[in-house]
Amino acid sequence: MDFDGPDLYENEIDDLEMQVMRYKPEGIDELVRNTKFTKKELQIMYRGFKQECPTGLVNEDAFKEIYAQFFPQGDSSAYAHYVFNVFDADHNGTISFEEFVIGLSVLSRGSLNEKLMWAFKLYDINGDGYITKEEMLDIVKAIYDMMGKYADPPISENAPGDHVERVFQKMDKNRDGVVTIDEFMETCKNDENITKSMSVFDTIL
Amino acid sequence: MAAVAAWLPFARAAAIGWVPIAANPMPAPPLQERQKGEDEKLGINVSGRRFETWRNTLEKYPDTLLGSPERDFFYDDETKEYFFDRDPDIFRHILNFYRTGKLHYPKSECISAYDEELAFFGIMPDIIGDCCYEDYKDRKRENAERLMDDQVSEAGDTVQPMTLREKMWRAFEDPHTSTLALVFYYVTGFFIAVSVMANVVETVPCGPKPGKTENLPCGERYALAFFCLDTACVMIFTAEYLLRLFAAPNRCLFMRSVMSIIDVVAILPYYIGLGITDNDDVSGAFVTLRVFRVFRIFKFSRHSQGLRILGYTLKSCASELGFLLFSLTMAIIIFATVMFYAEKNVASTKFTSIPAAFWYTIVTMTTLGYGDMVPDTWAGKIVGGICSLSGVLVIALPVPVIVSNFSRIYHQNQRADKRKAQKQARLARIRIAKNASGAHFINKKKKEQDREDKIKQGIDIEEEPKDSRFESQHHHLLRCLENTTGPDLHARYIKDREFVEMEYTYNGLAAPKAQSSPPTPSPSQSSQGNPVESSCCSRRRGKYQFARSVSDTGQELNDIQIAVPNKTSSKTHLNASEPPKINSTNTTVTTSAIITTPTPGTTSDTEESMMTVSTTTSPGNSNIVRISTL
Repeated sequence: MDFDGPDLYENEIDDLEMQVMRYKPEGIDELVRNTKFTKKELQIMYRGFKQECPTGLVNEDAFKEIYAQFFPQGDSSAYAHYVFNVFDADHNGTISFEEFVIGLSVLSRGSLNEKLMWAFKLYDINGDGYITKEEMLDIVKAIYDMMGKYADPPISENAPGDHVERVFQKMDKNRDGVVTIDEFMETCKNDENITKSMSVFDTIL
Repeated sequence: MAAVAAWLPFARAAAIGWVPIAANPMPAPPLQERQKGEDEKLGINVSGRRFETWRNTLEKYPDTLLGSPERDFFYDDETKEYFFDRDPDIFRHILNFYRTGKLHYPKSECISAYDEELAFFGIMPDIIGDCCYEDYKDRKRENAERLMDDQVSEAGDTVQPMTLREKMWRAFEDPHTSTLALVFYYVTGFFIAVSVMANVVETVPCGPKPGKTENLPCGERYALAFFCLDTACVMIFTAEYLLRLFAAPNRCLFMRSVMSIIDVVAILPYYIGLGITDNDDVSGAFVTLRVFRVFRIFKFSRHSQGLRILGYTLKSCASELGFLLFSLTMAIIIFATVMFYAEKNVASTKFTSIPAAFWYTIVTMTTLGYGDMVPDTWAGKIVGGICSLSGVLVIALPVPVIVSNFSRIYHQNQRADKRKAQKQARLARIRIAKNASGAHFINKKKKEQDREDKIKQGIDIEEEPKDSRFESQHHHLLRCLENTTGPDLHARYIKDREFVEMEYTYNGLAAPKAQSSPPTPSPSQSSQGNPVESSCCSRRRGKYQFARSVSDTGQELNDIQIAVPNKTSSKTHLNASEPPKINSTNTTVTTSAIITTPTPGTTSDTEESMMTVSTTTSPGNSNIVRISTL
């Protein structure tokens, strides 16, 4: 083993010191105005947030790690990536506390419309207003990945594909190969199970 | 894990993304009990220890946490103070910074803990006062080196498919990677030793050749034998050099490195000797060339770490050595001059010139004292005395610096080796603990499902174990995921997808217990872009444990829940045997928030709640499994 010595480390340490970033959120009152949370809730959320990320910013890798803690058996990095992109409203690669709280406000206190909009934004990976089969396949594959390979019964290779087919059958009314926001909203609103399931995640903060 | 609990509501909220494409509707969420001036002095409560300071003091530095409105997030209305759940000992120093303007680094604190606190309170480490800055920097550098060592060795532990070149290079650099490498290592070492011994023995007088009278050195007597031995050694060395050249990741860099130059210098004389014929003109040069064969002994430095450290020490102490040399030269010149002039007038003196006196000075200053040149005059003797005394001093000065450098580097190496040895034991312990907690998680999940089944079936359970709210929510989230990907209900009644128990190996490679399928690579451990600066949230890596999230009134997450005091039941899988029955007897109490199920005695379906609602609209239809799947 070649022995490089401590000189190698000195430069790298100096470089890394420059990269410490910090971020402070806006005042709590403004956040109370912009979201549907109360002041107390925001206090609690911020403390948790800042405890986890002292610099006030979550980057994608950290986000994936956090998400992976909740889904130990599967690979949740793909889905976490898509969720990250929806939360990161200004697409600067990090989620600030505002983005976090605003996203959470929509998801847990928003109206059905807002939630469906959020889901649509999640599926529409490239943000062009249409969900193509490929985009949906990516999302579905990401979700199936989270289950991991050890589910019982095992997930077959074309399970995501079939799933996407079924979904598209249901949603794509004019059979043009893409799902627009209106088709999406219509389908979901007419499906009782979806509307009821949406509110399952409502209550628990 | 308690801090990750803060992110659970977020993970649950993100699960809304599963809903529109879910195969089956989501189970109902778990039931939760309702849980729930002028200048003024500010009170800051850090983990129980109260600090007080003026508001102005804090606002001296408005870009830090305490000096800006960011502290309002930590204000506790009831006790009218700011509460931080952090280390109070380190906080003392941080608050002192506000008071005095100087940030000190306490030597007793761990450097990474200190850095974390600084990052939390928004203070740049650069403003540490001069009094403590050196120490801080040293500690930080040590820490960084240690982290890098860990990373390097961790990277070395990963099993990656490597090309032949990479494998060879690794084998060359670290002989302990495979037996072949070890064999190669010992063989080359043996041949180096043989070659050096041959060079040495060559010159020993061996006795006269039969038929002649003069005493020949062994090299000439057994010239052929020595030539063959030399050829064999050079073949080995050449092969080794070419193999290394082939395997080197960066050939140009390799060719310029010290070791490869030594290799080349060791084998070149042989080839040059082959090239030139036994000509008288060049044989002088040829003899000189043979001297370079002794450089083969330096090849041993690949085999001995101590030698390498010594070489490295000398390189790093170049300035001290230079100083030593320079001061010695100065002293030699001075004393030689004085000596010459003192002994000039003595008849048949050995001090014929100043350069001639150099030899005397060197021998005297290094306290060798051969005695071949001695002064005669009393002035010369005095000068000689002063010379030897000062010689000791001049040499003794730079030596401790060199020694301490050597010692530091040597100990660093020792530490690295010791750490690697301890690492194995540590990993084994961590693996055991991880298995325990992974299995623990699955067990808890199963237990809770069984418990809820029993509730549904009306079997009484002795007491409700106080399940942590975090855990029940987490389980619910996982069941929702199962439902999203589960098969159609009306298609076939098979077990829905369930999480299966798994064993975890150290690197997170999940190995299933009784399955034959190969393990998948673990969820990609997020590569840390910042190896030194612990990236945000990277410390959450590690044991996956459940702990009741801190149930402090200030810290508990409020949930806005329209609680309905009915029991919720949910089950993840359908029994293969019983087809789903519809409950048509009891009414349900539905709120806008939760859909609850009626009292036990009904069927055990996840979607029972949904189905009951639909039955009220079309009663009497006993096989409505109107779970529309997508």
